[in-house]
Amino acid sequence: METATLKVFRFDPDKDKVPYYQDYEVPVEGTLLNALLYIKDNLDPTLSFRAFCRSEVCGSCAMKVNGKTKLACKTPMKELVETWKGKPLRIDPLDHLKVIRDLVVDIDKPIEKMKTLIPWLVPDPRVVPTDPMHESIIYPEELEAYKDQIHCMLCFSCYSACEAVEDYERYRGPFAFSRAYRFQVDRRDIETAKEKRIRYAISGGLWSCVQCQKCLYVCPKGVKPAEDIQNLRGQAVRKGFTDKPGAKKLKHYVDWIYATGQINRLYLPEEVYGNREAREKLTKAYEEMGVEVWEVPKPTKGLMKFRDIYLEILSKEEKALDLDFSHVRKIDKMVSDIFKADICTIVDRVHEEGKGGKLIEKLKGLFGGDNG
Amino acid sequence: MVKVGFYQGCCFQGQDAHMFETMKKTFKAIDVELVLLEETTCCGGNTIDEENRKLSYAINARNIALAEAKGLDMLISCNTCYMVIAKAKRAMDKNKKLREEINNLLKEEGLEYRGTNRIYHLLDFFRDVVGYDRIRKAVKRPLKGWKVAAYYGCHVLYPRETAVDNSDNPSSLQEILKALGAKVIDEYENKDACCGYHSFYTDKNMTLKKLDKILGSVREAGADIIATPCPLCFKSFDIYQTNMENPPGVPSSFLPELMAYAFGISKEESGLSHHLIKVEKD
Ligand code: SF4
Ligand code: SF4
Ligand code: FES
Repeated sequence: METATLKVFRFDPDKDKVPYYQDYEVPVEGTLLNALLYIKDNLDPTLSFRAFCRSEVCGSCAMKVNGKTKLACKTPMKELVETWKGKPLRIDPLDHLKVIRDLVVDIDKPIEKMKTLIPWLVPDPRVVPTDPMHESIIYPEELEAYKDQIHCMLCFSCYSACEAVEDYERYRGPFAFSRAYRFQVDRRDIETAKEKRIRYAISGGLWSCVQCQKCLYVCPKGVKPAEDIQNLRGQAVRKGFTDKPGAKKLKHYVDWIYATGQINRLYLPEEVYGNREAREKLTKAYEEMGVEVWEVPKPTKGLMKFRDIYLEILSKEEKALDLDFSHVRKIDKMVSDIFKADICTIVDRVHEEGKGGKLIEKLKGLFGGDNG
Repeated sequence: MVKVGFYQGCCFQGQDAHMFETMKKTFKAIDVELVLLEETTCCGGNTIDEENRKLSYAINARNIALAEAKGLDMLISCNTCYMVIAKAKRAMDKNKKLREEINNLLKEEGLEYRGTNRIYHLLDFFRDVVGYDRIRKAVKRPLKGWKVAAYYGCHVLYPRETAVDNSDNPSSLQEILKALGAKVIDEYENKDACCGYHSFYTDKNMTLKKLDKILGSVREAGADIIATPCPLCFKSFDIYQTNMENPPGVPSSFLPELMAYAFGISKEESGLSHHLIKVEKD
């Protein structure tokens, strides 16, 4: 029978000064959980791990294999052996949680963190009948908005893999933001609670997520915390929480891409951090080298039609007013001043004349943009 | 000669326009013609998704449709552009209603998303279309004695649906570096940590912490330089590193630059001699 070596993390705080690894030879059969149960039944009854349902429901069996977070009862041994090409499989408890014993971790902390985001429904009396004899109906279309999030089984895989948890103690955790978002889009939840949740989310690190997408990758239930975090960020800005750098960055993207088809990395430090010097320094450096600097990106060919599509979508989603039209007009003026014509007529002319060509030649290997 | 549509994003124009020139030379050496997809726009940088996901899908359905209209597959170098566009492609392919709605808007420009053409990132393009062998054969100046730390960056490995390699134990980058003759360092402590690029304008502190970790462990592993296929990771390493309180001075490179150099293109023209953190190695 094909076998594999599991190097399992062992630690009993009552007995061991430091953790150590113990090797076990297990059959390559069934899931990682089967292998652990094999150890417990046949090789070493002292090994501790959690696994209640054995069928991807309870969320208790998450752990790490060679550093990657896996749900033991969902992960075939065969797949692990193939991925790691026969190398030993190092089994560790989840990251960012205190080890109770061997692979068993203490999950109190992330649960407490989650509670700070009001992960429950605060009923709006205008929507939810106060009389308990009346039903509170949820329509299928409404459920659509949070149908994935409700499958979270609190396995803490995402909490373990999260880059933001790793480097920011207060960060609430991917799953916690997904929970919060689930109520943000529930019609029965009262507006004042939604407002509070956003405020708490911001102080809980909403803008500290690095968008690494690891939470999407490790979630065994198809929850997409990184995307919920994006949605929450959008809500934050729309609710007027616009003072954080991340909110200003978002506004930069929304306006500049509409106006020119591109972001403007020269202006990003200024519009986000008020750092005007960064732009001036760079512009000066280029000019000293005899390089002509356009302070706007080359407007994309077909820009006016692109704008139509952009605005159409925003209007349909009732978000057209998120565009700051006075900002857009300012950008238009910058473009017109540089190209000495009206934005509508410029775009295609620039491309015909190929003004960019000369620039490329001069700009030999200069780095340093957007150094905020 | 293979022809492929090249998506430039923000990394290959304006102040970085020369990067496209390097790319063209690098690809010529392996018999690939890059056709610049001029009418494409910024992919939204995974930030437009915060404003509205459908807007992100529409922008990128348009980007893909522009390549399709030319009958070309699309090559994307930036990890984030790749992921954002690949997510849009998946949504368009899976959701018929969305596709109809967006195609209705694209009609005005005479465009249609059909889903007929592929999108590639550098890594799977090199592996599946070019082949490691052809890269090996194009090498004129093997990177002998270069100890190169392989750094993938997040968005080519996560999420699962759009990953271009085995997310847990990828190999394409190592294979390419080996083909260039370099000594690959792929076991260093923080090889899988995020480069921090995307938090520079949302939480700068986070970026600096990430850099500190990655650069520290690269140094500890004894590498001469980092190689990444993602221009954003590269910028984080080269540019944002200078924002650290004590920049460790670890040099980095964007993979096509190293390839250009190994293919015999001068250090100057490859871009390698213009980094903020000097590349001393020859
Ligand atoms: S995307 Fe954000 S929430 Fe998800 S794992 Fe990365 S840092 Fe954490
Ligand atoms: S979001 Fe997914 S990975 Fe995170 S705790 Fe819930 S089920 Fe587990
Ligand atoms: S044992 Fe319940 S999810 Fe694995």
